[in-house]
Order: sequence, then structure tokens, then C-alpha cells
Amino acid sequence: MSLTILPKRCDGRAIPDPPVYFAVGLEAGAVIALQIAIMRIFAIGSWTHFGSLVVSLAMLGFGLMSTIMCIAKDWFARHWRLVCGAALIAFGPLAVAANLAAQQVPFNAVFLVSDPNQKWRLLANFLLYFTPFLAGAAFLGSVFLQAGTHFNRAYFADLLGSGLCGLVALGAMYVLAPENLILAPLLLWLAAALFWFFAVESRRMLVALAAAAIATFATHLWLAPALGLSQLAVSDYKGVAYARKFPDSQRVYAKNSPFGYLEIYASSYLHFAPGLSDNAAFNLKEFPVNAYEGMYIDGDGPEGIIRALPAAETDYYFYLPMIYPYLLKPDADTFVVQFGGGLSTAVALTKSRHVTVAESNPAVLDAFLNDAGLRRFTGDVLHDPRVSVVGYEGRLYLAHTARRYDVIDLSLADSTGLSNPGGFAIVEKFAYTREAMQTYMRALEPGGVLAVTLWNKEEPPKSVLKLYATMVEAARANGDADVAQEFFAASCYLSTTTVLYEKGGFPAAEVALLRKHTKAMSFDVVYDPGFRYDDTQTEKVLAGYRDQIFFDASKPPGDDIGDDGADAPPDTGMPDAEAGVVPATSMGRLAWHALIDGNFGDIARRYVFDARPLTNDRPYFAAYIKPLDLPRILDRLELVQDEWGYLLLWATLGVAALCASTLIVLPVIFGWRSVFSATPGKLRTMLYFACLGAGYIMVEVGLIATFVQALSNATVSAAILITGMLVASGLGSLASERFLDGAPSTLPKILLGIGALLVAYGLFIHAPLDWIGVLPYGPRLLFCFLLIFPPAFLMGFPMPTAMGSLARLEKDHMFLWAWGINGCFSVIGAALVPLVATSFGLSAVLFLSGAAYLLAIPAFFGVVLPIAARGPPDARRI
Amino acid sequence: MKRRTFLLGSVGFLFDATLPRPASAAVPQPYSWDLLPPMESRDAFISWGVKTRGEDPKFLGERFDRFRILVANRDVWNEANKRAFLMTPREEFCLKRNLDRAYDNAYLDIGYGVTISGPHVVGRMTSSIDVQRGEKVLEIGTGSGYQSAYLAHLTDKVWTIEIIRPLAERTRGVYDALIERGYSEFKSISTKNADGYYGWQEAAPFDKIIVTCGIDHIPPPLLQQLTPNGIMVIPVGPPGAQHILKVIKQQAGDGSITVARSDIYNGRIVPFVPFTKLEGDRIIGTHNQ
Repeated sequence: MSLTILPKRCDGRAIPDPPVYFAVGLEAGAVIALQIAIMRIFAIGSWTHFGSLVVSLAMLGFGLMSTIMCIAKDWFARHWRLVCGAALIAFGPLAVAANLAAQQVPFNAVFLVSDPNQKWRLLANFLLYFTPFLAGAAFLGSVFLQAGTHFNRAYFADLLGSGLCGLVALGAMYVLAPENLILAPLLLWLAAALFWFFAVESRRMLVALAAAAIATFATHLWLAPALGLSQLAVSDYKGVAYARKFPDSQRVYAKNSPFGYLEIYASSYLHFAPGLSDNAAFNLKEFPVNAYEGMYIDGDGPEGIIRALPAAETDYYFYLPMIYPYLLKPDADTFVVQFGGGLSTAVALTKSRHVTVAESNPAVLDAFLNDAGLRRFTGDVLHDPRVSVVGYEGRLYLAHTARRYDVIDLSLADSTGLSNPGGFAIVEKFAYTREAMQTYMRALEPGGVLAVTLWNKEEPPKSVLKLYATMVEAARANGDADVAQEFFAASCYLSTTTVLYEKGGFPAAEVALLRKHTKAMSFDVVYDPGFRYDDTQTEKVLAGYRDQIFFDASKPPGDDIGDDGADAPPDTGMPDAEAGVVPATSMGRLAWHALIDGNFGDIARRYVFDARPLTNDRPYFAAYIKPLDLPRILDRLELVQDEWGYLLLWATLGVAALCASTLIVLPVIFGWRSVFSATPGKLRTMLYFACLGAGYIMVEVGLIATFVQALSNATVSAAILITGMLVASGLGSLASERFLDGAPSTLPKILLGIGALLVAYGLFIHAPLDWIGVLPYGPRLLFCFLLIFPPAFLMGFPMPTAMGSLARLEKDHMFLWAWGINGCFSVIGAALVPLVATSFGLSAVLFLSGAAYLLAIPAFFGVVLPIAARGPPDARRI
Repeated sequence: MKRRTFLLGSVGFLFDATLPRPASAAVPQPYSWDLLPPMESRDAFISWGVKTRGEDPKFLGERFDRFRILVANRDVWNEANKRAFLMTPREEFCLKRNLDRAYDNAYLDIGYGVTISGPHVVGRMTSSIDVQRGEKVLEIGTGSGYQSAYLAHLTDKVWTIEIIRPLAERTRGVYDALIERGYSEFKSISTKNADGYYGWQEAAPFDKIIVTCGIDHIPPPLLQQLTPNGIMVIPVGPPGAQHILKVIKQQAGDGSITVARSDIYNGRIVPFVPFTKLEGDRIIGTHNQ
């Protein structure tokens, strides 16, 4: 067996063989496909954000492996063929074994705080899923070490493989059921191993691989089902788990795609009437029976799909909050921003001469347009002659159409409104941003009405305050003269809130009509033109809400009322509310008062939760806990259970920082004096690779979130960004070879260019994305790729150039350590993105990444300091 | 199909887990409304519980400790509810694997994606509807059976509906076993496995209704089955941070009916995290510390 394709040193002896690069690319692809598969398993079986936690931390496998290799470099250098072979063979079996074991100890987020065992189960999940990544890292690390000065080529293969295989994994979602999605990384792994063992001509290893592959696939496909071991255990607390338990429940539709695992169930036990007035019970003769099917995406839901109702049964629409705009515009030309389960469209059709409806999820649209059963159930609503369908986001359509509408409806499009016991992941909601609201408002006819209905089941109120602020700010940004006249807001306590905006303001008669209807429904008026606010309550309301979360835990409530009060309910000094007015309504009125008066900033600052408006730069109904309050929330996590998705990001950051610093410091403890003392520029080298690791991943993750603005879907955005960036950077890495000689003068310019581009993107990217968003999907993907190409191409240069320089300078330990630092800071950077984005905006993520690349400029000069400059020659080796 | 198999397997496991009860001695003294547990001393309560109810001193002690905290925290605030809490053997309604935590303030898993609410939620919710003896109370979502067992110590007319058949059957079994042992007060609980959305028309109207399942609107049939000026309570939100919606069906002089929503404290905001550590006579910290 001869292997000359991987040069061991910078002597330029050999050019690597293509099969090795295929092996590297495919194995790197298998690693990324496994990440995606694990994320999907968590999304469908339990909660996405815990998948993010496990996968992010599992990537520390690269850091750990570099540490081990750094400490035992010589052993790895001697046995690299064995390490590569063994690590490659182990990846597949470890992936299947880890998944099967993890699914038998399913972690239940619902009891994370209350049940001490759940912490250990989460740890077990992490440790199990960590193992295949360790094997992948051992293979790739060994190859990188051997590639030495040709690191850039191996890195090219790594990036290109990751990028293209990421796309393959997303494509696999169309053909593989969620529990079998793990087959995608397994097939990539098998291909990688075949390329490798053919390249190294090891028959013995090929036999071992064959045995491992048979065992791996047989265990997943045959043995696990035969033994009754679940490959994907769905939590009993997922929405779909309840639907499956209803005696007459029947799954009438199921389809897997990158847009989610869409399931639809029929059952007489499913009841929906979101925001229904309580008064319907006493005024309505007949309620429709079996009117809904339940739609679940990734097991979350249900969202009600409404049956085609005969006219006699549609009376109950009058008691739903989405009827509001049609009280004023009974024969409207209507635009429904999101189709969802079709309730808004059904209500609109009873009161409109024409309805244009948008749906941004292609999987949902496909189901309603093409599935015979659904078409029958819904009366084929999307093919109704009075309905036009827009196959992408409503806000993008409205931004570029000359048509104007009497009513624009955005009702309960974002969630089912039922609580999610595991918390919510941080998701971009571009349909609710100030810019989106401006678009909706502009697309109205004079006198037209925009109606936005949101769940308000939070107490203290959170999302509704953000909605109020966003809508008022949007009207002001549009230059409206008298915003006080243009709004009407009504809510039903712990149910829904509806905000109406009329272009040009509500005439008095319309206000009277809205007030009358609100009273008839037993809803509360939160704001209307002519509204008066009693500001004597302001301090007490704000303090009451703060105390509700940040009360003194050492003092029981009502402690001050003495023994006489022991037989009375607790009273913490909150004022008796105005007759019939709950505190949430008082808070809503306070918010409106401040918004109209223009001093909302002050109220938002004093309120217990973040109430700032949504913008395209900060499009989140999430992260309500102010960062400075975090230390005070730790002993009362159950109070903020719906924020666990956000809090988990802080936990991820903390754990990642702790693990990463340990991994980075270990080689120093083991070898700082003996090895690193001879290596000049240590701290600057560390800083350089830390900047690159954090900078690259922050751009990638930050742009995935930003590009949702044009691509409307987080999965597609992730696909195009991961693939586009890695392929472009791979090309950059390949091109970097020719600049290696002149790196000290070229690379700073490239880093400066990257920094400048990222800052420019942070400032101006929303405009091109808005423009791209209205193109057909194919061109949209192409233009998105073109948009990310310039920085991504340049970002392919710094890593291989510096690694190549280290190899040339024979800083072998530093080479491995640098790779590990880069990996560790990638994990930290990824965890940092949503935290920066929710607090400071997505542009801040790009600014921070740009700053990291600029900081790498001075640090780079430490990387290229030659060893000979310091230390005696005999100190180069241990 | 595979997932189904797994679920059924889990169900079997859970059912097994419920079978061995912590104590199965017969109740020495028949139940009567005059039974009044001592509330002043832990030792007195334990010896009373052993003597009159035949219960395990360990659980009696834990119940009394929790009781002290509930009272201090104003989770229960009248004599009837204090008595009801002390009379209800919560340990009988928990899974075997959670018995050590039966009197924690935490909500606990009981299988099927359902929890038994923490004592503070049960105490506050039930105290706030102020059930009088003889009133008719309907519970939607039987779950573990603990809530209705607690109610059975406030009134002798309790109806409860569970949507998940195996859970309904399991809980019925728990009641039957307890009745067999002498907890005759649980004979006043009528159970059925049905869709609680439609209430229990044959037994309507009800003075009080407790809904313990998530829903996007209040089922109109339940509002219809509530007596005029009757009260309904519904916990809203995730298990650890539930707010309790209080709905009062108001009938005006002219017979017209409206519904008023508030939280259970009529508009006052009350801190929510219960206090669980008892050191001597003092309550220290929260249960997360």
C-alpha cells in the first residue's frame, strides 16, 4: 500500500489524489447531514431548541479531538492511517447506536426544572450524540494534519462536501420519513469510507467496513424495530401525541419535506374556535359539529382546518375576533396574509367579493391545492373562483403590487395559541415587523382596514405589547398625520387581542359600531379614538408586574396582612383594579397611552419584559427577559417556561464557553512550556483562530436568519446559506493557495475586505432582500447565492492561508491547536448569534463578525512569526 | 405502526407503575363530614391520620409540611379547603416512581402527556371557587383523580370527565380501590370517559366547573351547563406557570346573560412561585433553590 497523496510536510512532494478529497468531502457531508438528522429528530420527537443545544455542543467533538491530537501529536502522526480508518469505520455504527440509545432515554423538557432526573437525561442525550461527531473529527483532523501545507485543498473538499451534502440531506427529507432521515448521513459515510479505503488500498479495512455497514444498516432498519426499540420517540407532551390518543382519530394526510413533517388528523374530539366570544354560548342556536381537522407541523399544533360550512352554520363567525374588519367593510376586496388552516379565508369569503390569500409554506399549499381529501373537506376553497392564491409571503406580494385592498387580515397566523410546555424556539417573524406593517398599511385603499389578531394568553402581557408598539410605529413611519384616530384595539382576557388600523382614521360612527360589538361580545376595549387614560395607576401597574416575577422569595405573599388575613386570599398590595378591568387590560391601556403620547420608550424600559417593537432587524416575538434580569430569574425558571427556548441559548453559550475554554487550555497545561514556549505569537495565533471561528459561524447563522426575509422559510434559508457559503468559501480556499507565498501582505487586505463587506451588508442588506423576495423561487435562490458569494468567497481565504503558514513554519502543535480553537469558537459564535440578534438586531451580528475579521488582521502577524525567531532549535520537538 | 407499538409499550409500563400502592390498610374509622384533622401540630396530625385514616405516617408528615406552606403562602385560605387538603391522600394519585415527590410543589408526570398539578395550583384554584357542601361541581379532565378527590371533601356531588380512555379507566380503578379500603367519600365522585367539550348534560346544571385541559376557547356547552352566577376556572399556560382564568356567568335582572373574565384574584397580581422549604417554623426559599 502506498500513500503519497497526502504530503506530510511542506515539501511539496505530492499532490493529493481525488478519491481522498471525495472521502473528506463526503465524510464532512455526513457530519453535517447527521447534524440535520438529529435536529429533525428533536424537532419532531420533542423540541427543536433542545436539538440545537445538543447538536451545537456535539460540535465540540472537533475541539476535543484537536486537544487530544495536540497532546498526543506524535502518536497520531505515527498512526494516522489507523486513526483515519478506525474513525471512519466507527462513525456509522456510533451514529445508529447513539440515536437508538438516546431515544430510549427520551428527555422531557416539560420537567426540566421540576424533575432532577431530566437534567441527567439531557446530559445522556448530549453525550450519546457526541460520539459520532468525535469519530468524524478524528478522521478529518488526521487528514488535515497530514495535508499540512496543502491544508487549503483538504479544507476546500471539507467545505464543498459539507455544503453540497447539506443540500442532499435537505433533499432527503422529501423521500425519507423523519425516523429514517439518519440514513442520509449513513449513506454519505459509506461512500466516504469506500473512497478512502479504495484510495489507501486496504483490503482488510474494506472487509471491516463491510461488516460495520451491514451491522449499522441492519440495526437501524431491522433489529431496532424487531426489538421494539423506537428510532424516534415522540414525547407524550407534543400536540400530535394527544391527537393520536383520541379514540376515533384518523391520520388523513402525512408528508415529509424540508418545510416540516406535515400531518393532518380527523377526529370528533378536535374543537377550534380561536378567540370565540363567551357570549356565543347564549346567543347562538347551533354550533357546527365536526367542523375541523387538526394540522400538525413537526408534531406541533394543532392548527384547525375548517370544513366547508353551509351558510346556516356560519353564524358563529360573528363571534370570532376575525370578524371585526368586516363589520366596517361588508363587501370587501380582501387580502389574507397567511392561509394557515383556512379559517381567516373562510370568514373573509362570507363578507368579501374577492379574497387574495397568501401562504408561504409550500408544503401547506401543496396539501390544500392537490390532496383530494383536503379539497373535499375544505370545499376546494383555494380553487374557489372568488379566491386568488399567492404562493409566497403576503408582505412581499403586497410590497410590489399596485392593487389596493379594503381589508388586509393577519389573524393568529403564528401559533396555535396553546401553551408550549417546552418553550418556543427563537423564530424570525417577518410578517409582524414594522416594515411589514408599513407595507400592509400602504396596500390599503383609503378607508381600508388592517386587522391583526394575536393570542394574548401571556400574563404579564408580552407579545401584544410588542404588536401595539410595532403597529403604531409603522403608522408613524408611513407619515400618518394623526395616528390617535387610526387605531382600535379590543381583547378577550387570556384569549386573543385584535388591533384594527383604518387608513385615514375611524369616523365616529365606526368607532361607535366597534364599541357596541366589543360590548356585545364581552370583550374589552383596550384602545379607541378619543381614549382617556387614568395615569394614577401607572406606577402601581408597572411595579405590580415587576413584583409578580421578581418578588422577594424570602417573604411569602400577603405576609404583611397579619394573622387576621390568614383566611383571605393573598394580596400583595396591587390596587383593586377598576371594576371589571383586569391588569393585562390596564397594562395595554398604559402602553397605548404611552404610544400615542410618544413616551413608550420610557414605559418599555420600566416594564418587566422587553416590549420593543419588531423590525426587520429584530423580528422576534421572543427573548422577553431583559439580559440584565437573567441572574434574578434563575431561581424561578418555571415562571418563564415559555421562554426556555431563549434561556437555553444562554445555557448553550455558558456550557460552550466553559467546555471550549477547558479544551483550549488543556494543551497549554500539557505542553505550554515544552512545546509552545518555542512557538512565538501564541496569543495572537489563538486570537486569530478564535476570531475566524466565531466570525465565520456568526455570519453564516446571522445570514440564515436575515435571508428568511426573502426566502420566507427558515429551512430553505438554512439550506441555501449553508450550501452557498460553504461552496463559495471552498472555492476561496482553493484559490488561496496561490496567495500563500505573499500571505503577510495579501491576507490583511482580504481580511479588511471581509470586514468592510460585512459592515456594508449589516447596513444595507434588507433592500436587496426585499427585491429578491418577489422573484420566482428559482431566481430567488440564485440571487441569494450571488448575494452571499462575495464575502463567503473571501472568507474562504483566512483559515487555509493561516493553517498553511503554520504547516510551512512547522508549528505542528499550533496547527492542531488552532484547528481546535477555531472549532470551539464556532460553537460559541453560533450560540451568540440569537442572543445578539434578539438584543441588538441582526445587523449587530454582522457588525460583530466584521469586527472579528478586522481584529484578525493584527493577530495574523503572530501566526506568521517563524519559529526560528525564538527558542533553540532543539525545543521544537518533544 | 412502530410508534404505536412503542406507545402501547409505554402505556403498559405506566400502568404497571401505578399498581403497587404505598399503603393498602383499611380505613379504621368511617368517613364523616365531622372528621376534622388537627391543624396545629404535625405530631397530632400524624397520630390522628394513622388512627382515623390508617395512612402512612411518612406521607402524613409530608402532607402536613406542605399544608403549612400552603397556608403561609395563602394557597388555601378557608377552613373547608384546609380540611380538604389534609384529608386527601395525594400519594394515592401519583405514579409509584414519583412517590418520593408526591408532596413536592411540582407538577408530576402521570403518563399520557398529562400531569398532576402541584398542590399550590390545586389549592388556589379550588379555594377561589369556594365550593359549598351540596353544590354540584363538574371537572373536565380527571387526570390523576386528585382534584376530584379533593373536591369530594368539599361537597358530595362531583362529576368528572376524562377524554383519554386508558387514563379514565386507570383513575376509576384508583377510586374503586380506595372506596374498597374505606374512603367512602369518593363514592360521591361520578366518572366517565368522554369528550369533556360537551360537558355532562344529564347531570347539569353545575354550580362550579373546573377545566384542567388546554383549549383555544371556552366550550359553549360548559357555559350553558353552568348555573346563573356559577363560576368556572381554567388554568392557562404551561404547567409551571399557569394563570387561572375565572369565568363568572352573570344573569342580569332582565334575564340576559353575560360572562365576566378575570383571574382568580379578581384583578390582583399575585406572585406565583410557591415556597417549599420549611425550617422549623420558617419557610425558606423557593423550590428551585
